Amino acid sequence: MSTNIDHIKEEHHHQPSGLMRWITTTNHKDIGSLYLWFSLLMFFVGGFMALIIRAELFQPGLQLVVPGFFNQMTTMHALIMIFGALMPAFVGLANWQLPMMIGAPDMALPRLNNWSFWILPFAFTMLLSTLFFQGGGPAAGWTLYPPLSLQGGNSMPFVIFSLHLLGASSILGAINVIATILNMRAPGMTLMKMPIFVWTWLITAFLLIAAMPVLAGAITMLLTDRFYGTSFFTAAGGGDPVLFQHIFWFFGHPEVYILILPAFGIISTIIPAFSRKKLFGYDSMVYATASIALLSFIVWAHHMFTVGMPLAGEIFFMFTTMLIAVPTGVKVFNWVATMWRGSMTFETPMLFSLAFIILFTIGGFSGLMLAITPADFQYHDTYFVVAHFHYVLVPGAIFAVIAAVYYWLPKWTGKMYNETLGKVHFWMTTVFVNITFFPMHFVGLAGMPRRIPDYAVQFTDFNMIASIGAFGFGLSQLLFVYILFKTLRQPVTAADKSWEGAEGLEWTLPSPAPYHSFDTPPKVD
Amino acid sequence: MKSVKSTITKLSLVVVAMYGFSYALVPIYDTFCEITGLNGKTNEVAYTGSDIEKENRFIKIKFISNVANSAPLYFEPAVTEMTVQVGKPYNTHYVMKNNSTKQLHTTASPSVTPGKFAEYFKKIECFCFNQQTIDSGEVKDLGIQFVVDNDLPTNIGDIVLSYTMFDITNKVVEADKL
Repeated sequence: MSTNIDHIKEEHHHQPSGLMRWITTTNHKDIGSLYLWFSLLMFFVGGFMALIIRAELFQPGLQLVVPGFFNQMTTMHALIMIFGALMPAFVGLANWQLPMMIGAPDMALPRLNNWSFWILPFAFTMLLSTLFFQGGGPAAGWTLYPPLSLQGGNSMPFVIFSLHLLGASSILGAINVIATILNMRAPGMTLMKMPIFVWTWLITAFLLIAAMPVLAGAITMLLTDRFYGTSFFTAAGGGDPVLFQHIFWFFGHPEVYILILPAFGIISTIIPAFSRKKLFGYDSMVYATASIALLSFIVWAHHMFTVGMPLAGEIFFMFTTMLIAVPTGVKVFNWVATMWRGSMTFETPMLFSLAFIILFTIGGFSGLMLAITPADFQYHDTYFVVAHFHYVLVPGAIFAVIAAVYYWLPKWTGKMYNETLGKVHFWMTTVFVNITFFPMHFVGLAGMPRRIPDYAVQFTDFNMIASIGAFGFGLSQLLFVYILFKTLRQPVTAADKSWEGAEGLEWTLPSPAPYHSFDTPPKVD
Repeated sequence: MKSVKSTITKLSLVVVAMYGFSYALVPIYDTFCEITGLNGKTNEVAYTGSDIEKENRFIKIKFISNVANSAPLYFEPAVTEMTVQVGKPYNTHYVMKNNSTKQLHTTASPSVTPGKFAEYFKKIECFCFNQQTIDSGEVKDLGIQFVVDNDLPTNIGDIVLSYTMFDITNKVVEADKL
C-alpha cells in the first residue's frame, strides 16, 4: 500500500497544468469531476432531443420534423441519457466518493481510470456524428431490435462500435470499483461496516461486469448478420429475431438496475443525515440490494410478454418480476422507518431524496402493473410504459444524482450552494417532472403507442400538458447549472462536516477535500 | 498490490465468460425451443423413419404462405387445406413464380401452428430443405411429402403449416464473389 501512496505523491509534483492536467490525470477527484461534467453535458444534449420529441407531440399531425428524424430522436435520446448522462454520473460519483468513504488514497487502478473516462468523448462523438450521415442516425429504437435495425442506414456499424466503446469503458470502470472496494478499505472497515453507497456500487459493478459483455455479444451478432453473412437473427438463414430480444434483455434488465442501485445508495446516505438517525435496517438494505441484483438476471422476458411465449414462461416471468417488489419494498420501508421520529430538516438534498421515495414508488407501482402478463398485453409499447420508466429514471435516478451533487458539493468545493435557489430548483423540477410524465399514464392506458410522431386527436390535451411540463423541466435545469456556477465562484467557507447529521469518513477530511484523500489510512472501529 | 492483480484477473475472466455466454445463448435457445416445441420449428432434415403406423383418425392441415420483405415473387399453396389420415404419407406442393426481370435465389422457412404439435408433423421431402434458383418469369412447383405421427395427441383442432419465402439473391451472389 505504501509504495502506491509514494507513487501518487511523486506524480503530484510533476502534475501538468491547463488542458494536459485533465487529459493525463490519474487522480480520482479529477476523473470524478470529468465524469460529472461530461454527464451534465450529455444530460443537456439528450434533453434537447427530448424537447424536439415533445415539441413535435405538442399537437397531432406532423409539424416540426419528419417521422424518420423523429425516430432518430427517440433512439438517440435513450442512448444518450442511459449511456451518456446516467451511467457516467454514477461513475463520477463513485470516483469522487468511494476512496473518501473507505479511507483510501485513490482508486486502485488510476491509469485505467483515466482511460475509462477518455473513451467516452470519442464514443459519443462517433455516436452523435451519425446524425449528420446521409440517411441519418439510428432510428430503430435504443433496443436495436432486428430485423428493423438490420435494415437501417450506414449509421448502424458506427452505433455498434460506439456501444462497444461505452461497454468497454463501463467494464473497466466496474473492475476498478471492485478492485478498490475489495482491496483498499481502511483497516477495521469490514464489508458489513462499509457505507451503504459503497455497498450499492460494489453490487452495481458486479452487474456491469456480468451484463455489459452480453450486450457486446448481442450487437456483435447484429454486426456479423449485417456484414459477414451470419444468420443469428435473419430468418432467411434460419435465424430468429426473437432470439435477439432474449439476449438483449438478458443484458437490458440488469442494466436498468445498474441505473438505479447507486441511486438507492445515495438516498440511503442522505435520508439518515437529515433525519439525524442511523439508517434503519442496514443489513437488510445490503441483502435487499443483493437480492434485487440476483433477481435481475431471471426476469428479462417481462419486456417481451407479447412475443408468443408459452403460458409456463409467461407465468414464470410474471411471478419472478413481482418478487422484486419484496426487496424493493424492504428498502422503501427502511427509508420511511429511518425518518420515523427523526429530527428531520428539509435542505435541498433531503427534498430531492423525499421526492425520490414518493415518485420512484409510483414508478415501482406502474412496474407492478406491467408485470401482470394479461394486463401487459394492453400496456405493451404504449405511453404507459414510457410513463413507467421515466418515473423510475427521472425522479428516480436523476433526482438521486442531483441530491448527491447538492449533498457533497460543499465537500468537493468547500463552498455551500445557495439554499433558497436550491429549493426553487427542487420545486420547479418536481412540479414539472409530474406535469411531464403523469399524463403519459392516461394516454398510455387509453392506447397511445410509443415511438410515434403523430397521434389520434383524443390524446391532444394530455400531450399538450406533457409538452409544457417537458419545457418547464428543461428550463429548470438551467437554474441548476446557474446554481453550480454561482457556488463555484464563491469563496471557500464550508465546514469540514457540512451537514449536522452527516456520517462517514469523507466528512473527517477538510473541505474542499485534499487532492489525495487519505495518505495514511484512518482507523475504523 | 498482489491482491489487486488477482481481483483483476478473476474479474477479467468473468467478462470473457459472460461474452462467451451471450454466444452460448444461441444454441441454448435453439435446444430450449426444440425441447419445448416453441416457435413451431419442424424437422430440418428429411424424416426417414418407418415406425409410423396408419391409424383410423383424420386431421385437417391448412397451408398458408408469406413472402418476406415484399420480394417480387408469387408464392401460394396449390391446395389450401387437406384432410389427412394420421400415419399415411401425403404429397402436395406450393407454386412459386418469379415476377422480376432477373434470376433469383430463394429459401423458405417453415413453421407449424400450434407450435407444440410441430414435432408430430414429419416432412419426408420438402423444398425447404434446399435453396431454390428461379429464372425471370419462371413458374415452379415446390413439392412436400409429409406424414402426421400417430403419437399426435387426440382431440386437437386443425394444424396450420406456414412457409415464408425469402429472396436471398444478394447473399448468394456475394458469397459466390468471395
